[in-house]
Amino acid sequence: MKRILVGQALRLPIIMVATGAVALQLLCGCGRPESGEKQITIGVTLMNLPNEFIVMIHQAMEAKAKELGVKLIVNDAQRSAERQVQQVESFIAQRVDAIILNPCEVEASSPAVDKALAAGIPIVNVNSETKSAPTAFVGSRDEESARIAMKLIATRLNGQGNVVMMHGFMGQAAQIKRDQGAREILAKNPGLKLLAEQTGEWDRAKAMSLMENWIQSLGPKINAVFAQNDEMAMGALLALEQAKMKDKVIVAGVDAISDALQAIKAGRLDATVFQDARGQGSGAVEVAVKIVKKQPYEKQVFIPFQLVTKENVGQYLKQ
Amino acid sequence: MLQVRNLSKSFPGVRALDNVSLDVVAGSVHALMGENGAGKSTLMRIVSGLDTADAGEIRCSGRVVMIHQELMPFRDLTVAENIFMGQEPTRGIGGWLDKPAMHREAQRLLEHLGMTLSPTRPMRHLSVAQMQTVEIAKALSRRAELLIMDEPTSAISEHEVEALFKIIRDLKARGVAVIYISHKMDEIFRIADTVTVLRDGRHVATHPIGELDEAKLIALMVGRELSVGGPRSVEAAGEVALEARGLTKPGKFYDITFTLRRGEIVGLAGLMGAGRTDVANAIFGMTPADSGEIRVHGRPACIASPRDAIALGIGMVSEDRREFGLVPTMSVKHNLTLASLRGWLLDRRAENRIADEQIRAFAIKTPNRNQSVAHLSGGNQQKVVLAKTLLTEPTILILDEPTCGIDVGAKAEMHTFIRQLARDGKAVLLISSELPELLALSDRLLVMREGVLTAELDPRHATQEEILQHAMPDSGE
Amino acid sequence: MKSRLGLVIALVVIGAALAVAKPVFLTVPNLINVVRQISINGILAVGVTYVLLTGGVDLSLGSMVALAGVVAASFAHPGEYPVFVPVLLGVLAGAACGGVNGFVVTKGRVAPFIVTLGMMAVARGLALVLSGGKPVSNLSAEFKWIGDGLVPILVLLVVAGASWVFLANLKLGRHLYAVGGNENAARASGINVDAVKLFAYTVCGALAGLAGVVLAARITSGQPNAGAGYELDAIAAVVIGGTSLSGGVGGVGGTILGALLMGVINNGLDLLNVSSYYQAIVKGIIIVGAVWLDRRKEKS
Repeated sequence: MKRILVGQALRLPIIMVATGAVALQLLCGCGRPESGEKQITIGVTLMNLPNEFIVMIHQAMEAKAKELGVKLIVNDAQRSAERQVQQVESFIAQRVDAIILNPCEVEASSPAVDKALAAGIPIVNVNSETKSAPTAFVGSRDEESARIAMKLIATRLNGQGNVVMMHGFMGQAAQIKRDQGAREILAKNPGLKLLAEQTGEWDRAKAMSLMENWIQSLGPKINAVFAQNDEMAMGALLALEQAKMKDKVIVAGVDAISDALQAIKAGRLDATVFQDARGQGSGAVEVAVKIVKKQPYEKQVFIPFQLVTKENVGQYLKQ
Repeated sequence: MLQVRNLSKSFPGVRALDNVSLDVVAGSVHALMGENGAGKSTLMRIVSGLDTADAGEIRCSGRVVMIHQELMPFRDLTVAENIFMGQEPTRGIGGWLDKPAMHREAQRLLEHLGMTLSPTRPMRHLSVAQMQTVEIAKALSRRAELLIMDEPTSAISEHEVEALFKIIRDLKARGVAVIYISHKMDEIFRIADTVTVLRDGRHVATHPIGELDEAKLIALMVGRELSVGGPRSVEAAGEVALEARGLTKPGKFYDITFTLRRGEIVGLAGLMGAGRTDVANAIFGMTPADSGEIRVHGRPACIASPRDAIALGIGMVSEDRREFGLVPTMSVKHNLTLASLRGWLLDRRAENRIADEQIRAFAIKTPNRNQSVAHLSGGNQQKVVLAKTLLTEPTILILDEPTCGIDVGAKAEMHTFIRQLARDGKAVLLISSELPELLALSDRLLVMREGVLTAELDPRHATQEEILQHAMPDSGE
Repeated sequence: MKSRLGLVIALVVIGAALAVAKPVFLTVPNLINVVRQISINGILAVGVTYVLLTGGVDLSLGSMVALAGVVAASFAHPGEYPVFVPVLLGVLAGAACGGVNGFVVTKGRVAPFIVTLGMMAVARGLALVLSGGKPVSNLSAEFKWIGDGLVPILVLLVVAGASWVFLANLKLGRHLYAVGGNENAARASGINVDAVKLFAYTVCGALAGLAGVVLAARITSGQPNAGAGYELDAIAAVVIGGTSLSGGVGGVGGTILGALLMGVINNGLDLLNVSSYYQAIVKGIIIVGAVWLDRRKEKS
């Protein structure tokens, strides 16, 4: 019987990720450097590539980088703040010109920011915040997205009714911020009651089961569902449709993924909030390049959220 | 040293001990005898603290160490590590293993027992017999004051037994008490001072060895007269069933050539480590040889797995029934039928019928056919393995230490049975470390030494000394 | 087949407690929900039972679910192929992964833990590559029907029933138990141990594929990141149900009981609106308690 070391066991997944990162790099291709200058290299660490939204941010970054003739090294932190910090350390060792950080967690990803700044490398946060302040931030205020969605619910319910809320992974930056935003609106509308809340782990299947159970325990009392992302909203939607309760319940999500947009167009989902992933992605690259070239830049760029309902869904579907 | 009073113990379906009392004196060798299932192992497990009695009391004034009938070595660790398991010598703070000291001490103990074995060898490379000797070394390292030995010589050859007895006599002189459980009559008469006989969980008699002889002892154990085996088959052997030519596996055996005819019993003698089991495993397909040829009924055979062997009509009862013979998570019934299931579907009624038949035919002691096979005594487990093998209807049968750990009564039955197998036309290869057994049963006797066949003897005229001569390595004087 | 009485008692006790605290628990719609919610885990658990019986393990279940879901969804767009095509392809995708697992375990002689850990990464990667990182949506109504109503429950029942019959009545089923109980003795009894193991891993993969198809139908999209962590839930259900991790003992009945117990607990915690933070703790305690009770009953 061979003695198998745990380190050996982890080798394969790590090799997979590393190979994937290298492959992505090769696939991206290099932009042509401006004549005479050394090409600018930016290290990018993304929260979680298997996530449609992050994929859009990534694609936008690649496009912008190509346009500006800048080289990107893209890593996937796979939802691990620890890995993210390691990736940033690796970028520092490689002496990249700038780092773009798409944080996993507010607190736990902060060391990455600290280390980059200590090493004198500019670091730009994209999409979510960290506790430590980076050189620049390009994103949206997550609280705003939740506020927009909840405001819609409040309006549709005329300020009176029962709401249930589905959270993302507890403790993640997006979950904390969206929770905050939702509660602000609830506080302003005393007629709205939060009947129940639970984590759906950003997952459609989990959200579906959760909604089924809520339908059993709360039944007709539910007037609205706020899901902190569209995947969960879709899960809740499916459960409500199967229980033939959808016509009495308002469902709102965040992200504007294509499934959600289709559902709004078909009149199934009530609303989602569009987060301009492309704007964030390309904006981050732009700012990073400006900083490296010592050009004037804005420390904080807030790209606004946009409410999407049946009325205006058409313009988002085109993208 | 030890006083047992009115001890009783029951397991589901069976009363293992019924009101047993016993006294063992320090500085003596006390033999414990009885048929399989008589209660010896159970009694000793309770005395050594591994199990608890339902009623009665025990008073013991010293440290008890038991060497079990069924070995449970740590196969992935070395010899020294096994010996010192749980009592490793350490150095300094933090408990750093003192490996040099461990190896030195292990070496000393092994040499004491007459074994030339490196203490750094992994246990899995050892044969059953060698593992047993290591067990004894382990018990000795614990400085026991009462040493219980349950079938310690079941797979050890002659000159190791003598070395063991020397040690036992040393221990006796030092005031250690030894309880010696064995089925081997001659050993009992050589080493024991007192004999206690158990039968069916009850105490039958206790006598100083001088008051007994073999016949009386057997009579006490069995409660009836026993005939010794049966007459050897007089008829000439039939056609050649198996022919081995030049079988070689470097490191294990070289150029093994012999034939097996239907109706004959060919004995294979040799010291432990001589390679007999390796040859058997090669013929049965467990670990095929690297080169050489095997012909079955005249036709060349390719045996790459036991499946191939069974299909050709070869069956084997392995010496290590725990590792190779039985599936401990399954019942007696399922173990019996495991090698002879046919078709795609299981036929429960047929299985039940076959299981009952076999239990009756072999007198397997079990409350019912669905009993987990792990609960059976060693001897009964052996019967299950044998029955299972025979159900595959082999024409060639390899028996590797078939009477290992079996009591006198069952052993005689087994001998008769083996003779009957030959009379029925089977070709039998009998591997055994008990020379009297080999001489009594074999029609021809082969001897192996260090992987090579060294002699073919006629058991009617050969002596035990002659066999040993061919089996033992040259002393090189 | 052991009686698993302790588990049944635990299930009844928990069910009764829930019925008192939340009477809606015992209503038919809710009970149907519970069984449907465990159906995917149940199919996975039945599949991995085969592997665990041989003394092996399969950590790649969740990834196979995702891969099969993506494959099936890619062929399930309205008006393209008859519905049996995506179903078959999904199951085959799982079977192929399982077959590779089995091959490397038997011929490559690599420990199942390592092999399936690798497959966990590879299958997940394949799912991402095939789907471009995005969920595959726009599925036909016929396909979605598989995830609807009572259909997942029926699939589970058929899978569990067939497996139960197989393990109890087929020679190959008996061989599975033998290989898990003592591989050497099984080999010495003429059993083709490698073939038995290959079979177990392939069936496990095929059933994982089936679970992936049902999941994709239920959530109406083939998601490349579905199923993360599913293998742990599946193995937990099997082990709770009494199948030993060292092989040779256990069966489908226990597996279903284990899956049911986990499903009832999940459902109950949601009905009672227990906070997310406490749910994990409560789940762990109840499960260990149920197993303890069951093992004690078995000993007596």
